Amino acid sequence: MVLQPAERHCGDWSHRRLGPWCSPTGSPAPLSCETGCGEGTWILVCRLLVPTQVSLLSMEEDIDTRKINNSFLRDHSYATEADIISTVEFNHTGELLATGDKGGRVVIFQREQESKNQVHRRGEYNVYSTFQSHEPEFDYLKSLEIEEKINKIRWLPQQNAAYFLLSTNDKTVKLWKVSERDKRPEGYNLKDEEGRLRDPATITTLRVPVLRPMDLMVEATPRRVFANAHTYHINSISVNSDYETYMSADDLRINLWNFEITNQSFNIVDIKPANMEELTEVITAAEFHPHHCNTFVYSSSKGTIRLCDMRAPALCDRHTKFFEEPEDPSNRSFFSEIISSISDVKFSHSGRYIMTRDYLTVKVWDLNMENRPIETYQVHDYLRSKLCSLYENDCIFDKFECVWNGSDSVIMTGSYNNFFRMFDRNTKRDVTLEASRENSKPRAILKPRKVCVGGKRRKDEISVDSLDFSKKILHTAWHPSENIIAVAATNNLYIFQDKVN
Amino acid sequence: MYTRYMLGKGGKRKFDEHEDGLEGKIVSPSDGPSKVSYTLQRQTIFNISLMKLYNHRPLTEPSLQKTVLINNMLRRIQEELKQEGSLRPAFPASAPPAAAAAAADPLGSSSREAPPAFSQPAPAPCELGGAAALEACLTPASLLEDDDPDTFCTSSPAAPARLAPPALLPPEKDSFSSALDEIEELCPTSTSTEAAEADGPKGDSSSGGPGAPQRPEGLQEGGRPEDPKLMDSLPGNFEITASTGFLTDLTLDDILFADIDTSMYDFDPCTSASGTASKMSPVSADDLLKTLAPYSSQPVAPSQPFKMDLTELDHIMEVLVGS
Repeated sequence: MVLQPAERHCGDWSHRRLGPWCSPTGSPAPLSCETGCGEGTWILVCRLLVPTQVSLLSMEEDIDTRKINNSFLRDHSYATEADIISTVEFNHTGELLATGDKGGRVVIFQREQESKNQVHRRGEYNVYSTFQSHEPEFDYLKSLEIEEKINKIRWLPQQNAAYFLLSTNDKTVKLWKVSERDKRPEGYNLKDEEGRLRDPATITTLRVPVLRPMDLMVEATPRRVFANAHTYHINSISVNSDYETYMSADDLRINLWNFEITNQSFNIVDIKPANMEELTEVITAAEFHPHHCNTFVYSSSKGTIRLCDMRAPALCDRHTKFFEEPEDPSNRSFFSEIISSISDVKFSHSGRYIMTRDYLTVKVWDLNMENRPIETYQVHDYLRSKLCSLYENDCIFDKFECVWNGSDSVIMTGSYNNFFRMFDRNTKRDVTLEASRENSKPRAILKPRKVCVGGKRRKDEISVDSLDFSKKILHTAWHPSENIIAVAATNNLYIFQDKVN
Repeated sequence: MYTRYMLGKGGKRKFDEHEDGLEGKIVSPSDGPSKVSYTLQRQTIFNISLMKLYNHRPLTEPSLQKTVLINNMLRRIQEELKQEGSLRPAFPASAPPAAAAAAADPLGSSSREAPPAFSQPAPAPCELGGAAALEACLTPASLLEDDDPDTFCTSSPAAPARLAPPALLPPEKDSFSSALDEIEELCPTSTSTEAAEADGPKGDSSSGGPGAPQRPEGLQEGGRPEDPKLMDSLPGNFEITASTGFLTDLTLDDILFADIDTSMYDFDPCTSASGTASKMSPVSADDLLKTLAPYSSQPVAPSQPFKMDLTELDHIMEVLVGS
């Protein structure tokens, strides 16, 4: 058996003394999950850039990120604001990874197929398809632009050869069909090979067109456009487990759609007060239960989660369950409400738990217990003393997302300075990693990072004051069954995988 | 031991430096210096919030979530200030920032809450503090002549009895008429009817009454409020309070009412010198939204904004014309 570089490294015990990611003391702490990985060390698989650059590079045999580093990295001018990634999502098998950006584009990456010759290449993702999903629009009534930024992408489970995904900006949801074409008909009678019409008088024989193989072409077509149903900005979409309906949530309302019907939707939640001056709470995220097609949750800017059952009244203004943690009086400040605003809510794969992300923490709730979460993880508590500055520069309003791993044993979320954090729910260990270009050697092992709060700063630590708040990791995704993660840092998409794979 | 800061913020009783105070943990307002940083931080956050709401001119629709959160912040601070006003805190005279903050405390809140304020025990040091100074400048002329330390420096038990009738009057009117009195003192002129009323009955006057317990601290310790003393205290305090107030006002007026004829504000030299406390109260976002009164900083009751403004205008006109 040929040892790949990764495996060779695994057999070398010296790396253990360097300290695997989980524990600052250096003792190995394997990532506990059932997908078969033991070591718990993360390596960089590939770093993907803006679509224009990636498509150029994908033609090459060997995507060497080192090459990318040298040729494009140094030139920040290549990255424009339109290239900032705004959402990341694996499909249900993990074969495809979709990203949406501020410029309204969707880029789909496909996992490299396993091949005997280049076993170590498995796990890399290459560009599969790129298309412009949304265009900027202008609301003439309010004299305001409607951003084309893709807020969310959600995949539909695959039911035939084509892939379907929903993508949404602030106002409009679109259903896209992504299909492959690798054959084309040849031998038309009335058209010649270039497509020009032939003069019927010149045709002497008839032939039957045949399908001949062609270079693989991936085309994306918009199959449905669900528009004009939201007065406020859409923040979430969620596909129902019945695969026939989905919901879209904006600041004040949640609508239920049928995939086949684009000209009407059901309004299932409406928290708009009669007098807008009395508005004190908005909807921040919503998601369907993974198995029960009648159940969904939505979170609010006041740090509460409501679980609703659609079998009850049609308008689910009255919740079935109400999750709220009582405020900790010792931590009370001017910013208590703002930092309690939930930016993301996700059901576990099992459907038994929900995870919420507010500004400083990630919380896991048991659906059967409404009065407090069962677990609370501090993401970057050292920011608690900086809330005033963060309020001033608007960072306190950043919306971080959170994700579960495939077995619901590890949760991950992003932070500032291109840091992201993972929490192992079973071992209670956590780690801080960095998605940066400096560590962009292929198969480079990620070193755990630490933020120092006190006076003495150790060698590899970073002090709170030198954190870069413009480098924030808001969007991450975890492969549904393997330990492969996608981390979006501005215009870069990093793909990491667990070393033993 | 003063137990009047019953705001129960919790948190460590830690004195933060001014610069760090903004970032430090929120401290209990119970202790003196920490109260300074607390109110300073609160004022800063209030200003930042206003700037965020009104300075922003995005091409796209602003985030509703952000707007709602900032609005809630402003409302909460306003509520707090209201509560503080009704609890009648007396600030130590040695803390000018506290004075500023307290003075920035909407006069309207104290005047609006006049009835409950009267019922609050004011175990008071008649020290000249921010609120005190505020009150001081608004003491009606009638009271200035009234040489009764007991009236002003005792706690409320005496007050409510005297004030029952006056409490019925709209407080703004009283504060306004008191303000008028101040103007008249500085710019002696023919009296307006309201001023005359204010001048009338002394301690028991309907307009003077609320003034008394409302401003027990307004007068020097146990002393008779002498005019020069009062006058001396005024400008100093007013500088502080005015600056804080104007900061708020500038924020609001420059941005929100940029189109409104600002010639009204030319009256300021007179009013500010006499210390129209109304100018100093920070306006809540809600007030802004609700009232279009040019004197936006005047914390008027929603029910009678225009009435107030007209009378105010009239009187100021008379004052100026008279002088």
